[in-house]
Amino acid sequence: MPTATASGSLTATIGWSEHADAAIAGKEAAESALKRLSSLKPRLALVFGSSWFNQAQLVQGIRSVVGQIPLAGESTAGEISPRGPVSRSCVVLLIASEPLVCRVGVGERVDRAPRAAGQQAARAVLREFPGGTRAGFLLFGDGLVTGYEEAVRGIQEILGTSTPIVGGMAGDDLRFVQTYQYANHQVVSRAVVGVLLGGPVKLGVGIEHGFAPISKPRRITRARGNILYELDEQPAASVYEEYLGPELVQRMRGRGLMRQGIAYPLGIQLEETDQWLLRSVVSFGEDGSLSCSGEVLQDAWLQLMIGNRELALEAARKAAQHAIRSLNQVGCVLVFDSAIRRTLLGSQHAALEIARIREVIGVSTPLVGCYTYGEHAPFGATAAYGRTATHTGSVLVVALGT
Amino acid sequence: MGPSLTYIILAIATLMTLLLTLGSAWVVQSWGIIATFVVVGSLVYLALKVESARLELNELRRLRAAYDQLDKQAKLIIRTDLELHRTQEELDRRLTSLMSLHQLGRQLEVSLRPEEVFSKLDTATVMRFGFSKGLLGQCPSPDTVEWRSLIRISQSAADHLKTHLVASGLLKQILAKPAPTMLQSASVTDQAQRKLLQLLEVPAVVVAGVAPHAGPAGCLLLGREGASNSSDAKADEELVSVLTNQLEIAVDNSTLYEQSWRSQQELERKVQERTHELAEANAELIRLNKAKSDFVSAVSHELRTPLAAVKGYAALLGKGQFGALNTPQAERVAKMERHADLLTQLIDNLLDIARIESGRITMERILIPVKEFLATIHEVVHPQLEAKRLRYLVESDGVVQLVGDPQHLRRVFINLLSNAIKYTPEGGMIRFHLKPEGSSVLASVSDTGCGIAPEELPKLFQEFYRANDPINQQIRGTGLGLALVKRIIEAHQGQIWVNSEKEKGSTFSIRLPVG
Repeated sequence: MPTATASGSLTATIGWSEHADAAIAGKEAAESALKRLSSLKPRLALVFGSSWFNQAQLVQGIRSVVGQIPLAGESTAGEISPRGPVSRSCVVLLIASEPLVCRVGVGERVDRAPRAAGQQAARAVLREFPGGTRAGFLLFGDGLVTGYEEAVRGIQEILGTSTPIVGGMAGDDLRFVQTYQYANHQVVSRAVVGVLLGGPVKLGVGIEHGFAPISKPRRITRARGNILYELDEQPAASVYEEYLGPELVQRMRGRGLMRQGIAYPLGIQLEETDQWLLRSVVSFGEDGSLSCSGEVLQDAWLQLMIGNRELALEAARKAAQHAIRSLNQVGCVLVFDSAIRRTLLGSQHAALEIARIREVIGVSTPLVGCYTYGEHAPFGATAAYGRTATHTGSVLVVALGT
Repeated sequence: MGPSLTYIILAIATLMTLLLTLGSAWVVQSWGIIATFVVVGSLVYLALKVESARLELNELRRLRAAYDQLDKQAKLIIRTDLELHRTQEELDRRLTSLMSLHQLGRQLEVSLRPEEVFSKLDTATVMRFGFSKGLLGQCPSPDTVEWRSLIRISQSAADHLKTHLVASGLLKQILAKPAPTMLQSASVTDQAQRKLLQLLEVPAVVVAGVAPHAGPAGCLLLGREGASNSSDAKADEELVSVLTNQLEIAVDNSTLYEQSWRSQQELERKVQERTHELAEANAELIRLNKAKSDFVSAVSHELRTPLAAVKGYAALLGKGQFGALNTPQAERVAKMERHADLLTQLIDNLLDIARIESGRITMERILIPVKEFLATIHEVVHPQLEAKRLRYLVESDGVVQLVGDPQHLRRVFINLLSNAIKYTPEGGMIRFHLKPEGSSVLASVSDTGCGIAPEELPKLFQEFYRANDPINQQIRGTGLGLALVKRIIEAHQGQIWVNSEKEKGSTFSIRLPVG
């Protein structure tokens, strides 16, 4: 079911397939997107594929249709197709724009040396980049690896802080075994895959979560990286347990992420703002520490957050509004929506969330995306790009246009 | 304003104290009183300030207590909300499982044989129930199991499980007590059960028997990753109970279906046998009927010649060819002649019926002008009509010709009219009506006679059947007239039927093709 739009010089089409065979699904999705482009030549392919597919065959299937153009993407915890939230499918977005410049780069081994991986990816995209305006850097990360804040710093050391970095962390349909990222012909894991976009295109970004604080603020008295050791000089796990109860925490220790746990993320209050950066608790340390889904800032204030469906839907609408605010013409919209939100909202409301975004961007604008294990974006819509962070439980809307 | 004022007053007080200390000799003389006022004023202000700070501190403590109170309430809200999430999660799981059960139920419904039922468990269903692996087998006897569905279990592992279940007696236990039971490695003490968990490589398994009323029993094992608490275990047991219940119903149904299918096959076979026997009997009847017709034909033929002689001699005797007869003799001879006529007529009719049945008479198909046809008939029946003073009404409704054998059709209508005359009392009416009806002509003979009882109607056209009424007892007849009429009409591809009402009259109708 392909859709297409032409916005000034940016035309985007979508192809989608639910075929059970990976190679056929990739081929079908790419073919239907390419058919809609008619005589235009695609310059970039963005791919969101179910983790149930054989990933190499999926990418091969797509490349057999689109040829050697830059290709990037990732495995998902669910895809967002023109039909709304779906699973076990492949979605391909083809962008055709004559002056659009894009290069795909890979940085590997994020789990061992995240900053170096970020630098490696940034150097790779710059190596072939012809120069000119840089619109933004699309980042596809591994959702089962932490430390992407460091990788972003690595990217910024090479690209500078004026290029917005946005993207999502690959998922594997909530199996938490292995996720994949696509870079041209490669299928990789534990990597930084980036697309540097340049030319006369603009990138609009909106990220929201809709959660509100419920507990009293606690000072983060000891933290390093994504490990939260102490809150108000008490072991973080015991404070966490005060709120969620010992029985649930005990069960979370055994099973890892659970619906009840992700329903109450930790919110880190950003200085001088009324915004909270969300983190979910990934695991419990023997020393009473909490391992979080992203970096935790020492000395910041932390509160337990609560959400509801209406707030979540409203957040999606706001994110979409922020994303398109600075654009004259919207060519296409990418949505990186947290898998947590899909789980919490349930299938019916997850579809409503995408419908809210569509209401804002218009029905004719192509919209694709995926459910992720984390989102990368600057804080808020107006904040400095230098403060790109890894988010959790948020809906990130990225609008490409002029 | 508060703090800065405090600092100014403190600064003045300090300055005054300094001045008092440095130049007490001359200042005391001139400014002593002022300085004392300032110092005392400052001290009073400071005292007030301290009191205010104490009050603010109390307020702060109160606010902090309220804040902590709110935080406690937040904890309460979170716990309550968590319970809701948990319930929601449980409901979602149940819903998914029930949907799966529903889907499985639909698949099971179309299982026509018990063996098929046991092979219907698939990976998707097991996963949706929240289990990671499973086995479903059919038990031809309590000592063995034949696995039909293996979900994420290798054949060799399944063979080992079979050997263990049989050897340890677990299979017998499961079949004797088929209700689902959750076995968890953390709580199981029985060695056989512990080994079962080891062979399955899971920390928890639900074992259940499938015990249908009819058909073979079965055994179901569903293993799950991760330990369950008691409520989860109970929910799993309930779920598996519904599942085994469905399997039992499906086995029952498929067994009944198999039985009814076999019964139906048996029935069909018997029907075929009976049909064959009936066909043979029918063929025999046809053969016998032909033999009867041939016999009647032969006998009648043989009777005709001597009968012609009897009739001839009786006629000669009656005419006095062999001498004048006295009255009693003449009467007897006349009677002989009448009876011989009747017998001749009977034999003629019998012969005709036999000829028509055996196909030895073919009906001509020629155009018969209606006017002349009706006139010849009228000629024959006129004396009888006159004798009984009956009204005779003929209507031909534009029908100008008939198609058929004129001689035989004349017999038909004369016969019907004679009957009508016979059964209609004096002064009655007889109506002979013809009307076109598509490619046929509908001819009917109605009378205002005594009518025919309803129970007599079906037998009316049978050979030798005579309605049981007073007139028939008085008037002699062969009982072959209507039988012959029916055969002649059928030989013309026509139809004949009768409508009658007792004491009102009868109508004999004939549909005769003319196309």
